[in-house]
Amino acid sequence: MNDSSKLPPNPLPEVSRRGFLGSLTASLALLGTEGCRRATEKVVPYQSVPEQVIPGQAMHFATVYARRGDAVGLVVESHEGRPTKIEGNPLHPSSLGAVDAITQASVLDLYDPERTPSPLRAGAKSTWDAFAAELDARLSKHATDLGATLRVLATPTNSPTVQRLRAAFGRRFPAARVHTYAPVDAANVHAGSTLALGRAMQPLLAFDQAKVILSLDSDFLQTEPGNVRAHRSFSVGRAVTSPQSSMSRLYVVEPGWSTTGLAADHRLPLPAGRVPAYAAALAAELARLGLPLGAVGDAAATVKATGAFEPRWIQAVAKDLLRGGKSSVLVVGTRQPAIVHALACAVNRALGSEGPVVSYVDAFDPSEAKAADLASLVSAIGAGKVETLLLLGGNPVYDAPADLHVQETLSKVQLTAHLAGFVDETSAGCVWHLPMTHELEAWGDQRALDGTVALQQPLIAPLFGGKSELEIWASLAGEKDARPYDLVRATSRAPLLLESGLTSSGDGKDGKIDCTDALGVHVQYPVLGFEHDWKKALRDGVLAAAKVGAPVLDPGAALALRAPDIAAELAKTELAAPPTRERLEVAFTVDAKMLDGRHANNTWLQELADPITKITWDNAGLVSPKTASELGIETGDVIKLSRGDRSVTIAAYVLPGTADGTVILPLGWGRTQAGRIGNRRGFDVFPLRTTDAMGFAGGVSATRTGERYEFARTQQSDSMEGRPLVREATLEEYRQKPHFAELEVAPRRSLPLWTDVDYSKGHQWGMTIDLNACTGCSACVVACQAENNIPVVGKEEVAKGRDMQWLRIDRYFEGEAEEPRALVQPMACVQCEEAPCENVCPVAALEHSAEGLSEITYNRCIGTRYCANNCPYKVRRFNFLNWHNDGVWNETGGLPETLQMQQNPNVTVRFRGVIEKCSYCVQRIQSHRLATKREGRDLRDGDIVTACQQTCPADAIVFGDLNDLGSQVSKLAMGDRRYGLLQELGIKPRTTFLAKIQNPNPEMA
Amino acid sequence: MYHEPILELGEEPLVKPGSTLHDITEDVCRVAESKMPRAWYVAFSIALVFVAIFAVSVATLFWRGIGAWGNTGPTFWAWDITNFVWWVGIGHAGTLISAVLFIFRQRWRTAINRFAEAMTLFAVLGAMTFAGIHVGRPWVIYYLFPLPDQMSLWPSFKSPLLWDVFAVGTYFTVSLLFWFTGLVPDLATMRDRATTPWRRRVFGFFAMGWRGSNRSWRNYERAYLILAGISTPLVISVHSVVAMDFATSIIPGWHTTIFPPYFVVGAVFSGFAMVMTVLLVARKIFKLERVILPRHLDLMNKVILLTSCLIGFAYATEFFIAWYSGNPYELYVFKNRAVGPYSWAYWTMVVCNVIVPQIFWKKSMRTNVPVMWVVSILINVGMWFERFVIIVTSLHRDFLPSSWGMFHPSIVDIGTFTGSIGVFFAGFLLFMRYLPVVAMSEVKGTMAQADPHYVAHHAEPEDGVSRESAAAALAMEAES
Repeated sequence: MNDSSKLPPNPLPEVSRRGFLGSLTASLALLGTEGCRRATEKVVPYQSVPEQVIPGQAMHFATVYARRGDAVGLVVESHEGRPTKIEGNPLHPSSLGAVDAITQASVLDLYDPERTPSPLRAGAKSTWDAFAAELDARLSKHATDLGATLRVLATPTNSPTVQRLRAAFGRRFPAARVHTYAPVDAANVHAGSTLALGRAMQPLLAFDQAKVILSLDSDFLQTEPGNVRAHRSFSVGRAVTSPQSSMSRLYVVEPGWSTTGLAADHRLPLPAGRVPAYAAALAAELARLGLPLGAVGDAAATVKATGAFEPRWIQAVAKDLLRGGKSSVLVVGTRQPAIVHALACAVNRALGSEGPVVSYVDAFDPSEAKAADLASLVSAIGAGKVETLLLLGGNPVYDAPADLHVQETLSKVQLTAHLAGFVDETSAGCVWHLPMTHELEAWGDQRALDGTVALQQPLIAPLFGGKSELEIWASLAGEKDARPYDLVRATSRAPLLLESGLTSSGDGKDGKIDCTDALGVHVQYPVLGFEHDWKKALRDGVLAAAKVGAPVLDPGAALALRAPDIAAELAKTELAAPPTRERLEVAFTVDAKMLDGRHANNTWLQELADPITKITWDNAGLVSPKTASELGIETGDVIKLSRGDRSVTIAAYVLPGTADGTVILPLGWGRTQAGRIGNRRGFDVFPLRTTDAMGFAGGVSATRTGERYEFARTQQSDSMEGRPLVREATLEEYRQKPHFAELEVAPRRSLPLWTDVDYSKGHQWGMTIDLNACTGCSACVVACQAENNIPVVGKEEVAKGRDMQWLRIDRYFEGEAEEPRALVQPMACVQCEEAPCENVCPVAALEHSAEGLSEITYNRCIGTRYCANNCPYKVRRFNFLNWHNDGVWNETGGLPETLQMQQNPNVTVRFRGVIEKCSYCVQRIQSHRLATKREGRDLRDGDIVTACQQTCPADAIVFGDLNDLGSQVSKLAMGDRRYGLLQELGIKPRTTFLAKIQNPNPEMA
Repeated sequence: MYHEPILELGEEPLVKPGSTLHDITEDVCRVAESKMPRAWYVAFSIALVFVAIFAVSVATLFWRGIGAWGNTGPTFWAWDITNFVWWVGIGHAGTLISAVLFIFRQRWRTAINRFAEAMTLFAVLGAMTFAGIHVGRPWVIYYLFPLPDQMSLWPSFKSPLLWDVFAVGTYFTVSLLFWFTGLVPDLATMRDRATTPWRRRVFGFFAMGWRGSNRSWRNYERAYLILAGISTPLVISVHSVVAMDFATSIIPGWHTTIFPPYFVVGAVFSGFAMVMTVLLVARKIFKLERVILPRHLDLMNKVILLTSCLIGFAYATEFFIAWYSGNPYELYVFKNRAVGPYSWAYWTMVVCNVIVPQIFWKKSMRTNVPVMWVVSILINVGMWFERFVIIVTSLHRDFLPSSWGMFHPSIVDIGTFTGSIGVFFAGFLLFMRYLPVVAMSEVKGTMAQADPHYVAHHAEPEDGVSRESAAAALAMEAES
């Protein structure tokens, strides 16, 4: 698949050893005192060792990572100046200590050897100075026309500093315009809230407070903004600690499987275009049952939709929502049109869940990203009104709506400059390509969904000499010489915060400035002690007192619902007819790995199995078995999807549980200029996406091209074959028989052949995995890969079954093919006390530690692979080749040096011919053991957190000492839902599972 | 002039009637002394091509790693261990024929024992090669041996793989000694007939000063008997230990107590088949019809028929136990063998190993050379598939369906397997080229001339074995 010959030459920057150490040192000097030191640009050789650097001792820094309108606070592990591992920041509200798979993997992007090392002008190597000169000349020219022919196309921002600089830019060039575009945006959400509440707002949900949740095409657990915090609160609401516990119930209506659908108690596969009709029908039923929806209810009742819905999905769901009352909530996906968002808003208000469950927060970027905004830019260019165009981030040539023809349009502008990490599709069509810093290389600030501002501090000096978006804005705003550090500091000073939407009162004499935002929310900001607060904010990762646009916690009182407007809009809405064989629907889905395509060159994400299909290195057009048989296609058939005169080809994958008549098209694949790793992986579906169909489109025809395509999946078999693997019960069954899981399999009857080892002394490590919490989001898989230097093997090798991830997530389908249920089960080495792998090793490379770990001595392993055969869980991985060099990096002569910088120095890099597997993060156990020894205390529960446990947004994984009866893990391991998978073999697994509890509605049966 | 041999009632001669001791010497020595027939050169050239393929395949394997083969998760073992067990099995006929039949006084073995022993050696070498190259890091394979080291590290005696190292190693050593001991009198004959100094020196060295004296014969017979005694339990032990590689695991389809006897029977079965395959060709090319009679072939086919029935019984027992145990995983594995994606391999195995040999119930089939040659080849194929079925179909679908997968051989797999057959035949052809392919002294011992009551009507030319010495040997044998 790789076609490196067509890539522009992209050599690594020439770095000498001294230069390299120098840049390391520079970054350390920048960060040496946990960020409280002023940035210094001196290059100090390592002879004078930077303060606080102890070789081999990791340091941790707080920073933040922007994600689709949200920002996730991070704590980044750094070894001698190299950031190696990303973890969540427990103090940050959008992280609460966890991050998702994409964020976990983003550290790899930092070291991507194909990042551009210098600015390029018309493809030729150039310098930042040359660009600055050309830009200055341009800007001075634009000073005369006030910027009338100057445009900027940016991505939506969360950054108060960028906002401030944008405003300054606006003052400098009053006639210039800033357009924003992102292929996946919140435009529908904002339009919906504008319709319902009169303001562009983002709902913020407290799922832990909800009892009945109805998701209308919303994948709030994985691909929607704020997914990590939603995941956390959702798992709290689902937690079952005893038979007396109650838990929330989740209904999901969606066209294709999402992580959220996987967690549902009831799931209805419904074409995306029919969701509005479903929402209207449900609203009408709710009104009929007495919910005070007023005009909205009347309008909903008169809506005529073709095709009926299953009565239980209207009546039983409506009744359940009413029963839940204030604890019932509707969540709508960004793909759904504004009217569905407005309807949900009206229903939530009538149910009373606004306040306890739903609050709203103002959209941070009022201009936020609409396809229409990009369209107006394109038409301005077409009319010859644009001479200078700066594209800051984004990749519109690849991901803009196909009907805008961005690629052809760009050539009509005299000067185009694209700030991007890679020479991508858009850079290739621009005059200038400007290398952009990675988020771990730049200063900045980011606002989370709930308004909390966090500081972004660099972990390393720009490896490839890039500049951040913030720096470009500074030069556009006339603050060319300001350093980003100063710019961010300046924003963080209270008076400057006001520029981003706050008004102030008070004189600051009491040490505080009283700020009031437009909604009357009162914020106090200390004026004195700024340095102290700044240092604290850098250390904590959040600006404690600063919230830009705090959530409206009581929307019912503060925001009037515009029911007549919603009713009028509803009456106008044309509802799509059910798709048919000839007129199929396509639904564009945000990919759980690629997002919108920006992560295409990330090997970890490419190799991560899709949470549902388990496909790696590809996307696929997902169709239901019924639709597939109607179309006469099967998995692997390449199909051509045509809509009007546009078409895409994509390999089909038959996935039970997809809505009939819908083809799910994951975005972000089929890149042509992503890099060696990402080029031509999967299928590009953007050519079918137009401004009028950003979420989904009907009237699509599908034909077989006759070609076949092979997928590489990490799991070949979807059925549990009736085996007691994922054990589950309904809440009712659990209450009657709390130990159902353990009782499902008869205990082992045979006597042991030898005396049991005494594990009653010392620490005995164990783990529990709560299947009730796990949603299969796969963040843990990437976390494990990052922590343990797990190599990437490539598509061909995954297809052979040689994937190396120590932790995998098994996904099984159960039930009818029309309405299947999906079950997930994380599977890594369970550290059997009677490990079958250990006995069969002829060279004693596998031994059990006194603390119950099944340990591998890599040096001693000769690679007979008998242990892997004898492992009943098949969790052992074998280095069939020298993966780091012979895997995906074979053509480039081995793992690039920059990527080697990511590797964890505390974990052995395995050579070919040896076995490996989960070690319970033994390096973490060891380092904490040493740390507590230095502190002169014993290890306490919670000291040691494995990489998978650390990142799990659902808190499904708990690790600890089983001999410590007070530890969380031993409480869970002694709980009623506990069971040992395959323990009937007599192998005594240390990792045990907690059975899944469903909470179905009996009326839905 | 010819004296009718004195036979017991119902006894048939083991050498073509009318043969003299000299005829035997001539027949056997001629093979190693005269220019090889064209067929030998053709066969050896083909074998050398496969030796080259083997060398390239193994070089690729060492250069790239085990990934050059098709082995993958969950089939971490596939053709590598299939080939290992197959070759060990083939290597079984030698000891069985030499040692067990010797102890049971089955004198018909003399026609074929040298063949079988040589075959054993080359087959066990093949097996050891696969055991050696299948590891991920062959450069540290010495970790398998209990070598003293400063870290006090020992191999793990809990592992059946280590038992294998000792079982196969012992088997090879004893087989080599046994084969060599039997060769000594014949090497002396070759030495005495040698026409070039080079041959005389080499054969002389290995004949260890054999003079055919009474003392030599006495020592020789004693040594041979002791080695036969040592070898006999090895026939059982080596393949039982190989079977324990599987039986001691916890994988359904492997974790089976029937495996040791079942493997031993299978090994005898495949060993006899391979002897048959090679013997029939050599008999034809080197015109050994005088020594290797249809009667020998008939007896071998009877052994093949018996072991085939035992194998069939073992197959049936496995299914019965899978059902009777009530273990759902075990039951699934056997269902999967019969109707799963590898059912073609399973049914190939059943047809070749159980159904085809049943034609040997008919005597005319047992003595029909083309038929038995085809059957012997089919058995070789069937026994290879038996090991493939046991290894791959058990592994590819075990406990958790999430990890199920399929095995597809790579070109290197095919290269190492076919190449190993080439190495086997190249070695065997060299053996035929340079050494006596039939144990002359032992065959002579079965002839009428060796009978103490035999009276020669005319003086026979002097050979390595005189009438007297043959008779003395026979007497010695009777004593012991």
